[in-house]
Amino acid sequence: MTTEKSAEQLEVKDLEAAEVRHDLATGDRADERSLGPEGVSDRADVVIPMWRQRVRIFMHNKLAIVSVVYLVLVTLFCFLWPHLHPTNQTNQNLALTQPFNAPPSASHPLGTDSNGFDVLGRIAFGGEYSLTVGFLAGVVTIIVGTIYGMVSGFVGGIVDTILMRILDAALSIPLLFLLITLVTLFSRSATFLILLIGLTGWFGNARIVRGDALLIRRLEYSQAATAMGASKWHIIRRHVFPNSISNIVTVGTFSVADAILFLSTLGFLGLGIQPPNTDWGTMLQNGSDQIANGYWWEIYPLAVIFILVVVAINYIGDALRDAFEVRLIER
Amino acid sequence: MFAYIVRRLVQAVVVLFIVLVFTFTLPYFEPHGILAPAYVVLGTRASAANVHAWGLQHGMYHPYLVRLWDYIVQVIWHHNLGFSYKQNLSVWGIISLYVPRTVWLALTALVLTFVIAVPLGIFQANKRNTVFDYAATGSAFVLYAIPSFLLCLLVLQVFSFGVTHLPASPPSGVAPWAIFTDPVGFILPVGTLTLLSVALISRFMRGTVLEVLVQDYIRTARAKGCSNRRVLFAHAFRNALGPIVTILGLSIPGLFGGALIIESVFNYAGLGIETVNAATYLDSPTVLGITLLVSIFTLLGNLIADILLGVVNPRIRLQGEQ
Repeated sequence: MTTEKSAEQLEVKDLEAAEVRHDLATGDRADERSLGPEGVSDRADVVIPMWRQRVRIFMHNKLAIVSVVYLVLVTLFCFLWPHLHPTNQTNQNLALTQPFNAPPSASHPLGTDSNGFDVLGRIAFGGEYSLTVGFLAGVVTIIVGTIYGMVSGFVGGIVDTILMRILDAALSIPLLFLLITLVTLFSRSATFLILLIGLTGWFGNARIVRGDALLIRRLEYSQAATAMGASKWHIIRRHVFPNSISNIVTVGTFSVADAILFLSTLGFLGLGIQPPNTDWGTMLQNGSDQIANGYWWEIYPLAVIFILVVVAINYIGDALRDAFEVRLIER
Repeated sequence: MFAYIVRRLVQAVVVLFIVLVFTFTLPYFEPHGILAPAYVVLGTRASAANVHAWGLQHGMYHPYLVRLWDYIVQVIWHHNLGFSYKQNLSVWGIISLYVPRTVWLALTALVLTFVIAVPLGIFQANKRNTVFDYAATGSAFVLYAIPSFLLCLLVLQVFSFGVTHLPASPPSGVAPWAIFTDPVGFILPVGTLTLLSVALISRFMRGTVLEVLVQDYIRTARAKGCSNRRVLFAHAFRNALGPIVTILGLSIPGLFGGALIIESVFNYAGLGIETVNAATYLDSPTVLGITLLVSIFTLLGNLIADILLGVVNPRIRLQGEQ
């Protein structure tokens, strides 16, 4: 009897912990949930499709729109600027013929760095890698975390226990330690970095998805569907997945921000994208060597762009969570 | 409660075993094979005979399961974590040298974080949507977006070479109690680590208190005529403690990860730097030992957090006793 009780209690505690983790991951704030944007649906007699109401709530959040515009601009800059204004970003002997550590001028809008590379061009060049790796690693995180969490929460029983213990083990090692150990073992090409950052980032996502799956499986509509003879796959597809999509997308957005941060940290430790290519973390590390010499153009412009990218992604995540909050739609 | 703790301990052992097997197996995925550390130790141009001898010496030619079994027996039966490939030290020697230093660093930051973040979160919730609240939330957002190494560098630039001239790195002995004998050297590293976690935890505390403040018992307390301060600190604070205690347990691995960056920027020989070095030298016994130890810390932290949760929340405690 007591063991049964404690098992149940454990389950409840796991759920609570999952919620706490979720709140921590998404930075959930109670006031945003309860207050929300005003004038969401002004005409109650017109039925507006769900997705359009969500888009409307998202559009209502001015900061989120600014964030999206900023991200689009930075992405366009990173991928188009090297074609519009080509600069040499691969020649390691550039410093022999070009001025190095030169302050901003007409030919080099943000100056040159210690290797003679044009800094503005290099920000775009490194940004291609940082944004691509961050985004794709985030996608890997979402896919793996969702599948793992769904299987664990929905199949339940011994499978759930085994999968959760594996997850506990993964979560008990600091992510950075794990990532560094793996990155030193494997090659440091962009593909491997995407896979490694993605495959070490999904643990939190899996926990949240599992919590959702456990919760939704017990709700009346899932049980009613089961009673009517729906298959497990049908319930996952029609009930569990659509109802947990908000968490999947929201936490997934934060995973992209985290992946960009992790890549930059690897770059700082010299484990990021290897020369002649570069990423923003490696650039910040190189620039920080020059900080004491007063060569501000090698670090501060990039630092501002970088921090704002991560802030923008986090804001979009916040806005997405609001957009998916059903309670806001129904008002 | 007792049965629950035993259950959790058994789980923790299973989790540790998974960590051990995983970390032990990792070197087998090394592209240059399991003998790759030999080239790090003996040099890249070591002769095949030397590499072979090194492999024999370290039992590399035994089958995987035999090696795993030997390692487990060695750890559990002889309390021996093995010998570092690269350094002339036993793994336990390395751990006892560096762990206290990192633990003091992380522990001080953890205590400071809670001393600062909890009142800050309560205050923010109380003064919700004021200029102060927006400023605090905004800076938390930015702090959360700055890569920790960049924050360290900016802190160094401002407080060590700029406004003030605080020491840029803690004293470089290995004495674990240096944090008490020379606290000035630790202001910047501990301060930066604290700043990083305050950003996260104050934000979380604010949300939790806000959620508590809309509950019925708070309204009752106000209706009884409790002062605002009493409502905040006697009612809201106590009820918001639960999630915070859970976060405390969960923040341990993050703290070790954060300490890694802090240590490498502020040049403080600790566990983080040691892990990066061991990983780059493919020194698997050291990596294995440190990973196991950090996992134990984390699992213990989570367990203590769950027990504390029962202490601060009678509902959970009584549920367990029934």
